[in-house]
Amino acid sequence: MTKLLTLFFAVLLTFSACSSENDKEIVISTNEWIGYAPLFYAYEKGELDKLHFKLIKNVSLAEAANLYAIGKADMVTTTQHEYHSLQAATHDIAPVILMDRSNGGDMVLSNKSTEALKNSTQIYAYLEVDSINKEILIDFISHNKIDKNKIIFINKDQKQIQNITNDKTKDILIVTYSPYNIALEEKGFQEVASTKSINSIIVIDALCARDKIIKTDKRRLIQLKKVLDNAINTIEQDPQASYKVVAKYLSNISYKEYLNSLKQIKWINKPSKEFLDYIQQYGYKKDTIIR
Amino acid sequence: MSSLSIKSFVIIVILFLVCSESLIFYSFFQDSKRSINEILTNSLQSDVLNLKHYMQKNLKQKDINEIVSHMDNLIVINPVIRDIHILDNNKNIVYDPDIRMPQGTVHATGECIPISKIVETDLFTQNCYSFSIKTYKGLSPQYYYANIYIDSKYIDNLVMQQMKKTLLLFAIATFLFSIILWLLFKHYVILPLKGLRQYAYYSENPPKNFFIKEIESIRYSLSMTFKRLKKEQEELYNLSTKDPLSGLYNRLSLIEKLNWLISKGQRDKDEFAILFLDLDNFKNVNDSKGHEFGDKILLHISKTLLKATRKNDIVSRLGGDEFVVVLSEFKDENKIVEIAQRLKENLSKPFKLDDEEFTITASMGIAIYPKDGKDVKTLLQNADIAMYKSKELGKNNYQFFTDDINKAVQERISMQKTIRNALQNNHFKLFYQPKVDIKTNKIVACEALVRLIDPIEGIIPPYKFISIAEENMSIIPLGEWIIKEAVSQIKKWEQTPLKDIKVSINLSGVQFKDQELLQKIEILTKDIDRSKFDIELTESVLIEEFQERLNVIKDIKKLGISLSLDDFGTGYSSLSYLKDIPFDTLKIDKAFIDNIYTKDDLTFINMIIGIADDLELNVVAEGVETKEQLKLLKEINCEQYQGYLCSKPVPPKEFEELFSKN
Repeated sequence: MTKLLTLFFAVLLTFSACSSENDKEIVISTNEWIGYAPLFYAYEKGELDKLHFKLIKNVSLAEAANLYAIGKADMVTTTQHEYHSLQAATHDIAPVILMDRSNGGDMVLSNKSTEALKNSTQIYAYLEVDSINKEILIDFISHNKIDKNKIIFINKDQKQIQNITNDKTKDILIVTYSPYNIALEEKGFQEVASTKSINSIIVIDALCARDKIIKTDKRRLIQLKKVLDNAINTIEQDPQASYKVVAKYLSNISYKEYLNSLKQIKWINKPSKEFLDYIQQYGYKKDTIIR
Repeated sequence: MSSLSIKSFVIIVILFLVCSESLIFYSFFQDSKRSINEILTNSLQSDVLNLKHYMQKNLKQKDINEIVSHMDNLIVINPVIRDIHILDNNKNIVYDPDIRMPQGTVHATGECIPISKIVETDLFTQNCYSFSIKTYKGLSPQYYYANIYIDSKYIDNLVMQQMKKTLLLFAIATFLFSIILWLLFKHYVILPLKGLRQYAYYSENPPKNFFIKEIESIRYSLSMTFKRLKKEQEELYNLSTKDPLSGLYNRLSLIEKLNWLISKGQRDKDEFAILFLDLDNFKNVNDSKGHEFGDKILLHISKTLLKATRKNDIVSRLGGDEFVVVLSEFKDENKIVEIAQRLKENLSKPFKLDDEEFTITASMGIAIYPKDGKDVKTLLQNADIAMYKSKELGKNNYQFFTDDINKAVQERISMQKTIRNALQNNHFKLFYQPKVDIKTNKIVACEALVRLIDPIEGIIPPYKFISIAEENMSIIPLGEWIIKEAVSQIKKWEQTPLKDIKVSINLSGVQFKDQELLQKIEILTKDIDRSKFDIELTESVLIEEFQERLNVIKDIKKLGISLSLDDFGTGYSSLSYLKDIPFDTLKIDKAFIDNIYTKDDLTFINMIIGIADDLELNVVAEGVETKEQLKLLKEINCEQYQGYLCSKPVPPKEFEELFSKN
C-alpha cells in the first residue's frame, strides 16, 4: 500500500513538473526604424521565438511606448525621449541593450531651403511631437534662428507624415527618420538637417525592459543580446542577405535605400566604457546595460 | 498488514481519486481564473490603449465634454470597467460618467496603480488602474490622468459562475467516474473474484472466462488444480475402495456397500444375496506357476465375474482367491441359482493364459439377507461357511447357507476351542493299541493313539478333532506333544518288562509344513533308543511337496527311527513309494482285513505280504477283530496284527497290565 501511494505521488509530481510553465513569453514593442533591423532579422530567423520573445511592430515610437505603458509589452525600443517619458509615467524601465545611434537617420526635410524658411511668414511643421522629433526640431529652429511663432506644429505619426503632399505654396518642415524619409524625398522634400549634421543632439536607440524582466530573465536578455549582436554582424557582413529578410519591416525600401539607411546609423551594441559614461547624462545607467 | 476487502479497497481508491480529482479541478479552476484574468486584462489593456490614443489625439482639439461619449461607450461595452475618472494636471476630476450609476451612487474611490503594473496584479484583487494622457499645445505637453475602476462585482460573478460550472462539472465527472469505476470494478473484478471464491470453496460450477487476464489465469489455474485434484481423488478413492489387481471393489468398499444395502433393506424390506467364491486349488496354481501367473488368473476370474453378473450387482475381491458377489435385486432364490449356475459355468470354462489352456473352478457359498444374517460380519461368515461346505462336497459348486451347515460349523468352531483348551490344560492322553506277533501271539509293539478327554464331553474320538486340528494347524503342537508323550512313555518303560516294546506314533501331513519338524523329532527323541520309536505315515502325507517331504522322511530314517506306511492298500498304494521311501513296515488297511474272507482281498493281502517279503518289510494287519481273520493271516504268513481281537487302544497302565497278562 505504501509503495502504491509513493508511486501515485511520484506520478503526481511528474505531472505537476510537466505542467509547470516554460519561460514566459516576453513581448517587445517596437516600431519601423532602420536601427531596429537586427530585431526584425532575428525575429524572421526564428531566433526570438527560440528564446520566447514576441515582437510587436507599431507605426510610431509613441505607439510602441503606449503599448509598454499599458503593460501590453515587457520590453520596448526607445530613443531617450520615450525612455524618459515612460520613466516618468511608469517608473519601471531601464535600458538593457544599446542598439544604434542615429547618424543622419533622423532628419528634418523641407520643400524649401533653410534660407527660404528663415524668411517665411508661416511654416507648417509636421512631426511626432511626443518623440525625439521634437528635440530635433527645436534644435533645428534654434540653430537656424527661425521664429517659433511663425511655425504651426502639426502632431502626426510617421505613417501619416509619410503621406503629406508637397504643396509648393506652403513652407513645410517635416521631422522624420529613416526609412520614412525616402517616400517624402521622392515627393521633393529635401533634407535640411539631420543627426549627422546636428552636433548638439545625439539620438540613442536602445531596447529597454521592466525591472522585473531584468531581474528574473537576465539569462534570456544576455542570450537576446548575443542574437542581436549576431544579427548586426550579418547585416554588416552580408547586407544583401539581411535586406531580403528585413525589407518588409521597412516599408519595402529598395536595397540601395536600405544600404543608405544603414549608413545613417551607427551600431552601439558593443559600447565602449567612455560611451557608456557619456550617455549617463541622458539617464542611461550603465549597470543595466548588457555589453 | 491486515487484509482489506476489495470493496473497501475500491472505495478507498475512489476516495483517493476523488481527492486527486479535487486537486486537479482546483488547479483547473485556478487556471480558468487565470485565463479569465488574462482575457479581461487583455480586453482592458486594448480599451485603455484605444482610450489613451483617442484622448491624446483629441483632447488637445476638443473640450473633454465633447469626447465623453467615447468613454461612456467604453463603460457600457466593457463590463469590467465600472467607472472612469479623468483628472487634470492638478488632479481635479474633469470627467466622471453618469451611465450605469444609479442615482445616489457614490463614484468609486481608492488607490490606483499604473496600468503598466496590470500584468503583475490581477483584476480580482486590484480595484483601480491609472495612466497618463499627454497632449500637446504646440510643443508644450499637457497632462491628464485617467483612473479606470474595475467592476469587482462583475468579475466576482464571472468567477462564481466559472466556479459553479467547474464544481458542477467536477461533481458530475466525479460521480460518473466513481460510478463507472465502481461498475467496472464490480463487473470485472469483484464479481469474478466472488465467483472464484465460490468455485474455490465448492470446486464445482466453474465460472466462464473472465475479461481480466490475471483473474482469468487464476480461474484457469483453479480449474486445472480441481481437475487434477478430482483425478487424484478418484485415484485415491479407487485405491481405497478398489482392489488394485482386479479393479473390483475391495473388502472395505464391500463392507460399506453391504452396510448401505442392509440399511436400505431394513427400510424397504429388501433382500439381497451374498455369493462367497473361493477358487478351488488356487494355492497349487500359485505354488506351481508362480504369483505372477496366479495374478493373471485372478484378473481373468475378475473379468469373468463382471461379465457373468448384472450391472447393479456388486463384485468384489476380498483378497487372495476369495471373491464376493452381491446380488441386490432378485425375485426369488431361483434367480440366485441361475446366477450362481452361470458363474459356475463361466468360471469353469477353459481359458488360455500364456499359450497354455487352463481350467479353474470355484466353490461358492450363498447367504441371504436378512434370513442368514442381519449384519455384514454374519452374512460374510455364513456365506463363507456355505462356501466351505461346497468345498467339502467336492468343490466347483455352490451351496446355500443352512442351519445344518451352520450347526456343523459351530461344532467345528467349538471343537477348535476344545483342542486349544486341551493343549493348554493337558486334556490329551495317549492310548496304546498293541501290535501282536502272530506267530508267538506276544505283544511286540504298540501304536500310540491320541485321545481327547474333555472334562465335560468325555472322551472325544480322533476323527472328530484330528481333521479340525489339521485345519487350524493345531496338529503341529499336538503332534509335538504326542512325540514328547510317546518318548516319555518309552523312557518310563525302559526299566520295565516293556522295555522292548516299539512305540509307533502317527505323523500328519500338516506336520510336515513345520519347517522345524526334523529338528524337533531329533531333540525330542534324543534320550531314547530310537529303534524303539516308529513313525507311521499315510500316503496322503506325500501328495503335496513330495520331494521336500521325502527328504525330511529320509532324514528321520537316518536318525534311526523306523517308518511304517499306514493304511496301505487304500488310495494309490503306489509301489514307487515303497521304492523311494525307506519304510520298514507296511500296515495293511482294515478294509482289506474286514473282507479277508473274500478270495480277492485275501489274494490282495497275500500279494502285499509277498511284496513286503521281497522288499524285506514287516507287515502289520490292521483292524483284526476275529480269530478267523487271525487264522487266515497266520496262514499267509502275516507277521503282526493290530486290532480289537487283542485290545482296543488303552491307557498306558492298562496296556502294561495287558502286556503282563500276555
